[in-house]
Amino acid sequence: MELLWLVPALPLLGFALLTLARRLVRGVAALIGVGSIGLSMLVTLWIAYSFLVSPPQSGAASDTVWSWIALGDFRVSVAFYLDSFSLVMILVITIVGFFIHLYSAGYMEGDDGFARFFAYMNLFTASMLILVLADNLLLLLVGWEGVGLCSYLLIGFWYRDPANARAAVKAFVVTRTGDAAMLVGFLLLFTSLGTLNIQDLLSKAVSQWPSGSGIAIAAAALILAGALGKSAQLPLQTWLPDAMAGPTPVSALIHAATMVTAGVYLVARTHAIFALAPPVQLAVGIIGVATLLIAGFSAITQRDIKRVLAYSTMSQIGYMFLALGVGAWGAALFHFVTHAFFKSLLFLAAGSVILAMHHEQDLLKMGGLWKRAPVAFWTFLVGALAMAAVPPLISGFSSKDWILSWVWSSPAGGPVLYVLALLGVLLTATYTARLVTLAFFGRERDVPEHVHPGGALIAVPLIVLAVPALFLGLIQTPRSLGGVNLFASFVQGVLPEPGAEGPPSTELLLMAVSTLVALAGLVLGWALGVSQARAHLARREAEPAGSPLHRFLLSGWGFDWLYDRAIVGPYRWLARINQSDVADWIARGFAALSRLLNRLLSLAQTGRLRWYATALGIGAVAIVAMVVFL
Amino acid sequence: MSSEQILALLPILVTSAASVVVMLLVALKRSHGLVFGVTVGSLLVALAAIGSSVSVMPQAVSSLLIMDRFALLYIGLILAATLAVALLSYAYLESRAERREEYYILLLLAAAGSEVLAAAGSYVSFFLGLEILSISLYGLVAYRRQTPLGIEAGVKYLILAGASSGFILFGMALIYAEQGSLQFAALAAAKGSSFDVVSLVGFALIVVGVGFKLAVVPFHLWTPDVYQGAPAPVTAFVATVSKGAMFALLLRYFIQLDLYQYGAVVLVFGIIAALSILAGNILGLLQNNVKRMLAYSSIAHVGYLLVALLASGPLAVSSVTFYLIAYFITNLGAFGVVGYLSSGEREAEEIDDYRGLAWRRPWVAGALTASLLSLAGIPLTAGFIGKFFIIAAGAGSRLWALLIILVVGSVVSFFYYFRLVLAIFREPDAGAQVPYPSASLAGGIALSVLTLLLVWLGVYPAPLVNLLGGMTSGLL
Repeated sequence: MELLWLVPALPLLGFALLTLARRLVRGVAALIGVGSIGLSMLVTLWIAYSFLVSPPQSGAASDTVWSWIALGDFRVSVAFYLDSFSLVMILVITIVGFFIHLYSAGYMEGDDGFARFFAYMNLFTASMLILVLADNLLLLLVGWEGVGLCSYLLIGFWYRDPANARAAVKAFVVTRTGDAAMLVGFLLLFTSLGTLNIQDLLSKAVSQWPSGSGIAIAAAALILAGALGKSAQLPLQTWLPDAMAGPTPVSALIHAATMVTAGVYLVARTHAIFALAPPVQLAVGIIGVATLLIAGFSAITQRDIKRVLAYSTMSQIGYMFLALGVGAWGAALFHFVTHAFFKSLLFLAAGSVILAMHHEQDLLKMGGLWKRAPVAFWTFLVGALAMAAVPPLISGFSSKDWILSWVWSSPAGGPVLYVLALLGVLLTATYTARLVTLAFFGRERDVPEHVHPGGALIAVPLIVLAVPALFLGLIQTPRSLGGVNLFASFVQGVLPEPGAEGPPSTELLLMAVSTLVALAGLVLGWALGVSQARAHLARREAEPAGSPLHRFLLSGWGFDWLYDRAIVGPYRWLARINQSDVADWIARGFAALSRLLNRLLSLAQTGRLRWYATALGIGAVAIVAMVVFL
Repeated sequence: MSSEQILALLPILVTSAASVVVMLLVALKRSHGLVFGVTVGSLLVALAAIGSSVSVMPQAVSSLLIMDRFALLYIGLILAATLAVALLSYAYLESRAERREEYYILLLLAAAGSEVLAAAGSYVSFFLGLEILSISLYGLVAYRRQTPLGIEAGVKYLILAGASSGFILFGMALIYAEQGSLQFAALAAAKGSSFDVVSLVGFALIVVGVGFKLAVVPFHLWTPDVYQGAPAPVTAFVATVSKGAMFALLLRYFIQLDLYQYGAVVLVFGIIAALSILAGNILGLLQNNVKRMLAYSSIAHVGYLLVALLASGPLAVSSVTFYLIAYFITNLGAFGVVGYLSSGEREAEEIDDYRGLAWRRPWVAGALTASLLSLAGIPLTAGFIGKFFIIAAGAGSRLWALLIILVVGSVVSFFYYFRLVLAIFREPDAGAQVPYPSASLAGGIALSVLTLLLVWLGVYPAPLVNLLGGMTSGLL
């Protein structure tokens, strides 16, 4: 584990090199940008190998790189903590991250900000790795803020378009709302438990706080707020669809390997605190299921291929939160893993489609692309089937089924949540099938003459990522389908299961139901896609007016509208009418006072030697007087 | 004198000898390169000599000098800082037409005087060191004698420093008349639970002189004028080495005589610290001249240092020393950049001279930005760690009032530090751009090392903190 520090350090070094060296040749920039993540991936694989061959005694290893500030009991170190949970995280981040970087080398070819792009991407990956490896809250916060900063930089990467810059600001501000609450939560943990070390915090919390106590609920709720912002869950989800403004590989990185999964990581990492706060944990599950439904309905109506995927991410993260809410920590993590692979695959394949379409993202203008862009089609299909949870080999099926069975059988779950989650399965299959039908099948609508879905740098990552998207489910299967339990037993020590599993017969029944629902969704989505394609052909240029319901769903349930009216508008109004408020008085008063004192004190700076000498004498008299008379 | 004593004294001996050698060299042949080489070489030898001195310490050399770990650490700091100043001076002087060589004689002498101050164990060596330092500085400050500002600065410094030396001398006389000894150790042994009035007055007069050298309120008025008039590398020397040596002496004196038990003394220093923090930062606020701005900032920084000094206890000495080291590196870096961008004819001292520096000289801009961030105490710089330790030491001794003033002062200081940072990163003026002299190797090396150290101490301070912990335990 001595090499652990290299995992975040290598991408960080890549960032430093790319930033400091000016005017790099493209090839060199790509080599540094992709190579740093590649090396980091190799180190991670080696660490994983040695972790599996000779697991550390206590199931976790920690590596203190250096201690920054040490003062009595207060110690802030740059220390990394590796257990099976963080190992899974860094494996996914570096592997998926590497292929996204490789793909970017092809996708961003010809962009002016080539080196800048890779610098940000490297910093993004490094921040995420620091976040998941941090052994104390302060270092975690460094990674967390780094992720927030890089998302801002990358969403607004094409900053010359003001819309992109606005999307970047929106992402930053919305997630910051959650971050502020999280920071308060961290301070609460530090002041009441007296340590920054995460493992010490958790064990102290368990031993000192009774279950359901006010402080545990407050801490869990505040942490949850931070997680909701980063993971784009209700009510802080509005930034995610707009975040599509960035280049497509950025979307893949944000949605698959970094950023949105940070919240899932945080909740799972501090699950001991959530277990002490049952109301908050219930809220996690409800928020998860609500988000997955809202996002699912919205996804069905979107025309932009990337926005469909954005809403799908929201809903898939909703599944993870649902799993966290019912205490199925392992299942949430497993869904994170499979999701990372199939979602990065979907985004990258969508990027190839967008390239083929000459940067047209409207689904209604596509069609029949399966033979024009075969690699993109087949790999997208794999990802789509995985997302729609079609059995049996496809990875998304295993993880989603695992979550559903826990939602049914966990003490915190129940039939209500289960039925809602099942509705989510239907929605997922529907929007996925609609997307595939519109983009790849039917007649070509506005497809350009010459399509360029990209060269080998684009095709190879797609094909490689398709393999785990297809087969990763094999390491954790339901009991009736072999009962492979590799993943669960690997993370068991860190992420325990919520209770005893239900009888196998129930499990089989649940599986059959969810499969049927998914298949029904596929048919529904296909029908939707065919009819919309037909309608578009019939009307051609005319913009479909759409029903109010359609418009409502298209706008993501009007959350942007609501927030604009309920928060942004009043806030701006308040700011306008309150331009000279009390807070300003204090600040201005302080400034005016400083200016006044500056002017007064400057009077003494006459530049005249005789006055300086006089002042020396006066000072001497004052000091002698003070010493003698006091 | 035994061989061990000579060994212990080696760094000071090497520095003094070097000044003589350089003087003879100048008499024989004027060669800037040669003189510079000898100066740098002898400073390196003096630094290396500290290694051999460590083996024989602690060593009292006569009753005047005490070569212990504390003294050696400060001597090392003084020598390293002088080395940096010498490196930064080379290109600055090279662009001047005449009389470049005598500068190094004065620089070496000033360093020797500072070393004596750091090792002083008696009033005699205190005064000797102070005068060697001051008299060399008169010449250095007035080195730009073609310009009226340079002469003005030199004369102001000469007269005021002379007056303050008079205060110190009179104070010493009073104390000697009352106590009958000039040794710090003897005074510490003889003193009762309180001083008599005559000794107190003597002590107060010494404080006046020390306060002048440290440029604390109310003895700070000369600072901006002298800092502005002196050549930029000399300003760096005045701000760092001359103050650092005086602070070393003050620290030793304070602890040896355990002045913490005298309420009036602590109160006087507390008031001086508070006034220096506030006045320094407020005066810097609207300053458009970078050298004057840094002068005011240095007044405030000495105020911070006094806070740590007043926070007695084990943390005080190491936090003072850490802060002083961070202050040395940071100010050498900041004034170093000013000198680096100045030529013999023209000092780059107006804030407009720095506008767009980031686009014209990105590495130099990086060094200056790092220095300014460190002065402001932003994390990942040495200045942050230094301020953190000062606040920790102050909180440990419950100096809440002083800490609040420190925080307020720091907030005020952000304004003028970031004003300069803002200027650095603005688009350069399309029209008239200030010409910068061409890059110099020696100065570039000095600036790079300083910037690296600044970040290194901010990221990985543990080794230095441990070193200081070991060093100061000997003093207490």
